Amino acid sequence: MKCLLVATESAEVLFYWTDQEFEQNIKKQYGMSQEESGRPPAFADSINTLFAPIIISCSTMIDRLGDGYTSFSMENGHIYALHQFEECLYIAVNGDGEETYEDLKRKIFVMKKFTEILFGMVTLSSSLLKKELRPPDTEQRIRIWKKLQRLLETYSRLREQDQSFLVEAVERLIHPTLCEQCIEFLERRLVQQMNSSGERAGEEVLHAFILVHTKLLAFYSSRNASTLSSSDLLTLIIIVQDLYPSNLELDETPSEEVDSISAPDIFYTPEPSPIERDSGQLSSDSPPVFQFVDPDVQMAEDSLQTLQLPVSDPMTPTRVFLEATFKEGFFPMMPHSMYCLPLWPGITLVLLTKIPNSQVAMSVYQLLEAFTKLEKRLSEGLEGTAALRSQSPIQELRIRVDRFIRMLASMDILTSQLQNTWSEFKNKAFTRSGPGITKALVPSCRSIKTQLCGVYQQCFAAACMGTNQCLSTTLQERALNMVQEKLIDWKDFLLVKSKRNITMVSYLEEFPGLVHFIYVDRTAGQMIAPSLSVTEGSASELGKGPIAHFIKNKLWSLVAKTRQYLQKGYTTVTLRDGDFYFCYFLWFENETGYKLEVVDIPNLPDDSAPIGMLAWDYYRKLLRYYSKSHQNELVKCYELLTVHLGVVPTEYILQHCSQLARKLWEPSRIPLL
Amino acid sequence: MMAETRHTESSLCSCFFLYDRSKVREEGDLTRAGIYYYYPEQTPLDQQELVCGQLAGVSRCVSEISASPVRLLRLRRSKYAIRMRDDFLWALSCVNDLPDVSMCDFLDQMIDLFCFYNGSVRRSYQLHTQEELAVCWARYLSHLQGGATELHHIFTCLTTIDYTHIDPLLLMKAALILQVCQRCPLVLAGCILHRGRMVSTQMSPELTMKVMVHETETYGLQEQKKPTSGRSSFLATPNCTTTTSVYLTQSELHTLRRPLVDNSASCRSESPKRPLKPRLLSRTLSDTPITDPSSCQMLASSPDSSLSDDASFSLCPSLASTPFRSSVASQSEGVDADESHDHDLANEMLLFEGSAAAGKGEDGEHDQVDDVSAGYRNHSSSEDENLLALRDDEEKEEEGAGQATDIREERVGVCEERDVVLEPMLLYEHRVRGLVLVLLVEPGFETHPNAKQEVYHSSLASLNGLEAHLRTIPPASEIPAVPYTFAHYDRIQNTLTTNMCGRSTGPQDRPFVKATALLHSHFSHVDMLQEAIIRSAGCALYATRTAAQETFFVQQGVPARNSGIPNGQDSAFSLPSKARHRLLKHGVNLL
Repeated sequence: MKCLLVATESAEVLFYWTDQEFEQNIKKQYGMSQEESGRPPAFADSINTLFAPIIISCSTMIDRLGDGYTSFSMENGHIYALHQFEECLYIAVNGDGEETYEDLKRKIFVMKKFTEILFGMVTLSSSLLKKELRPPDTEQRIRIWKKLQRLLETYSRLREQDQSFLVEAVERLIHPTLCEQCIEFLERRLVQQMNSSGERAGEEVLHAFILVHTKLLAFYSSRNASTLSSSDLLTLIIIVQDLYPSNLELDETPSEEVDSISAPDIFYTPEPSPIERDSGQLSSDSPPVFQFVDPDVQMAEDSLQTLQLPVSDPMTPTRVFLEATFKEGFFPMMPHSMYCLPLWPGITLVLLTKIPNSQVAMSVYQLLEAFTKLEKRLSEGLEGTAALRSQSPIQELRIRVDRFIRMLASMDILTSQLQNTWSEFKNKAFTRSGPGITKALVPSCRSIKTQLCGVYQQCFAAACMGTNQCLSTTLQERALNMVQEKLIDWKDFLLVKSKRNITMVSYLEEFPGLVHFIYVDRTAGQMIAPSLSVTEGSASELGKGPIAHFIKNKLWSLVAKTRQYLQKGYTTVTLRDGDFYFCYFLWFENETGYKLEVVDIPNLPDDSAPIGMLAWDYYRKLLRYYSKSHQNELVKCYELLTVHLGVVPTEYILQHCSQLARKLWEPSRIPLL
Repeated sequence: MMAETRHTESSLCSCFFLYDRSKVREEGDLTRAGIYYYYPEQTPLDQQELVCGQLAGVSRCVSEISASPVRLLRLRRSKYAIRMRDDFLWALSCVNDLPDVSMCDFLDQMIDLFCFYNGSVRRSYQLHTQEELAVCWARYLSHLQGGATELHHIFTCLTTIDYTHIDPLLLMKAALILQVCQRCPLVLAGCILHRGRMVSTQMSPELTMKVMVHETETYGLQEQKKPTSGRSSFLATPNCTTTTSVYLTQSELHTLRRPLVDNSASCRSESPKRPLKPRLLSRTLSDTPITDPSSCQMLASSPDSSLSDDASFSLCPSLASTPFRSSVASQSEGVDADESHDHDLANEMLLFEGSAAAGKGEDGEHDQVDDVSAGYRNHSSSEDENLLALRDDEEKEEEGAGQATDIREERVGVCEERDVVLEPMLLYEHRVRGLVLVLLVEPGFETHPNAKQEVYHSSLASLNGLEAHLRTIPPASEIPAVPYTFAHYDRIQNTLTTNMCGRSTGPQDRPFVKATALLHSHFSHVDMLQEAIIRSAGCALYATRTAAQETFFVQQGVPARNSGIPNGQDSAFSLPSKARHRLLKHGVNLL
């Protein structure tokens, strides 16, 4: 019984996702109460009615007491998590005991991350975000909701199944030779060729990487590209998994459904449940199937069940907004195009390109930042020239906005609204008759910001991506073929390797009693762990069935527990739990591998962002915090989690842990670039 | 009315309220009508209405979606333990970072305490004004947060005397006194307290906790008022005994009575001449009651058979016609005569029914009482719970006849919300300066020809002796400092042994308290967890638990520098052996 919804302060539901159980539960409640009037109300209305008082109470509490709700726990174990981002309230509910408050909070932050990746700086303006999340047009709304709902479901599936999404770090295929070859291939052949081609329509490939299921085989960034953050990379993997899901459980037992769709170019109407459909599609050995929506699909008002989305043509890029650091500074949401080219089922080539006009995004961000600062100073009561310390910055800002508007005009971008708002602002700020640079300017600052976001939306929003604005199909096909050719002999090996990347077998002799471990290099955002497959078809060293499931569940809950301790400042945790002994260590090293002394790490409040790297990079903050006391060193952060049999004496367990840390340090040196 | 709430400097609770939703149903109803009690009492009414209205409203909405009451409601800067029962909603919020489990326990204790001394909440608010009952809430609140250390709040455990610095013989002596008392007629179980701390008890930890409130309160009052006022001289007399009416749940009563089959059978019979089994000084296994069928039959035919241990306490109104009714009625009169000068509130409540029926009710309360008694009369026939619906003005005149009926009804059982039935009992208290003997006794205790005398005389001398010994024990501050801190929590007895006692929680103890709080709530959520070591830069804590106990241990002093990497030489991992070694001399065996 799960639900997640996003609502405005005025209790308008902007987005919701529920599982079937939750939906049935609500319908049952409402079905009974409304039987007299005949038809039960639409589900969306029921959701609205049920949650409206909670949402309104939340904003009342914030207004009057300055303290909003963060969670409710019920006697029957239901949990509600609430989090307010700007003017949007996110509520996540769990009623089946599968998720804790921390999980729900994480899901909320992941949802927030999805909106940022999909809408970019539009999320900075609440009024525009509302329109993006809940477009007035029904069909559009269904499309965007369906997309987000599927992303959430994909995320939840990965978090439950995949260790790399459990600890939120990228898992790489451990095969140094092949890895190196591929990187070289991506660099010398693929990216170079594409960027020198005339068919790239002004786009420039910045990053290229190959995924085998969720695991990274090779990653290449071009020289003038900014590094791709772990948070963005993990989110992109979710997007790829959403497009080409790999459901391991069904992967090994091809069903009849698979055969029926295995022929290329077949048109078919997808099943209502995306997972079933997706697994079917994936398990086939055929090239990707192009799917279109059945033209006869009935469109019902507000009913999401009846409309299936067209699965996009793989040649059509997805617009994503990624973080970038240039010499000009840090830019959180720069527009990129993402091409997901399926090489074979389970293996995908991903290209991230810089699109033309992206300098507009940079200017928008810089101006937004300047106006935010101005607004903050003004509302703090600093008036006149003090608001900007001296006269020059506000004059400079004026010049910058004027220049920006001229630049937009030269690019044929509609700016009349921005121009109007700007001249209003100028009238107020710079003329004698106006109030001058005072607190009264705050609303004008806000409307300028909204207009800037509007320009950004106009230029980069996914909806206005022109069909012709992308790498040409032939160029994409050429790239696809090149990589296919390169990897054709490795294909089967890679698919098996991705399931048994490293196995416990190789560690058992050296570490008797060790059951499982996870090693994470937080600086690079990468993890190493023995495969932990608990599906029926593939037996791991843990065997299959209940024991493997038990250990998996134990591992998942222990990771959650160590995060709670880490949140309160504890970097070492050992637990004897039933028949197992569990250890967790977090430590810092400098570049040469010298272990640095542990310091008191910040104590975070309960409602702070979840510890991890996907939705919010806790470890980057931690490293920055630690680096303050180590100014002239490059600090690295590592984590090790181990599960031992409880009968092993503690001395040996600790000895194992330190040996393991030393041993695993080596493979993590494989260069990423 | 004894009133002043003792506000301890280290106030733990930041907000507590009781809200009655049934009072705010219509559009025009004011939120304030539903607020029965709000702490801090000086909070502006607007603020009270805002908090109560919002929290109650949101709780109701959420509980409708989930079809379950809310237990915990968290805000960014505060959190509330919630209890929703019928139309009532209690909320409690604490200032410091108390674990969720502890806060919920705290709230439950509050509610339990109220019911213990006042009976059903709904009924109490029909019989008494909000102001009167506000004093009760304030008292329980100040009792629960007063005195004890932060560690005690984390474990919500009983405050005991420091067992590590007391001659075990004294404890045995205390236990013996209780056993002797238990042999006296109509006595169920007892507990000995010294200066507000528990010395020995025969009751469950929950019950002991409840019993302690009354004692702590009177002890505190006695200390305050020593030099003046007639009342204190009354309390200071060496033979000061009091009885207070209290209410027990069926399950509490059931466990209390169960081990006493032989005793209760012999003592509760109204003829003391009946041959008794020889009284044993202490109960052993050989003393297990032999239930012979004849005595069972005898019990069944005896008038108060429903009081026998494992009979299911049926609430059939027919019970009301047993002769027991008259005995209770006379008992209440007896209390009236003997102790009318005792201003204890709980006593007053018992008095209330008698005195009000006799026309002593004061001003506004008068009508209310009439209504309620009328309600109760109707209640006996219809067995309807909703007293409000049954207000019947026409039956007002029948007050005289109502007296017995009221009490009979009370005897039958005050039907508490959710079918929790509360049985009235008496709390006997005998004070010798700082030492108090508290006994839970059957309602017939007051009227029994010699029960009170017997208890008094069999315990007086030993109590005096015990008090003299306990008085000489050095105060906690003289405990020598040791290079470690530990806390040992007994989950069965709900007691805490720690060498942090007596010291106020200083900055050096902060890390220990914080880590202990975290691990205690971890232990309470994960059954399989047996042992844990957690370490930050400044503090390494070792914790271990079994089904019966939890132990927490830190080594004081600056921890050795470490890098946080796995290292067998690390001092943190030697904590388990150190704890085992060090705690042996505190009587804690971790082997």
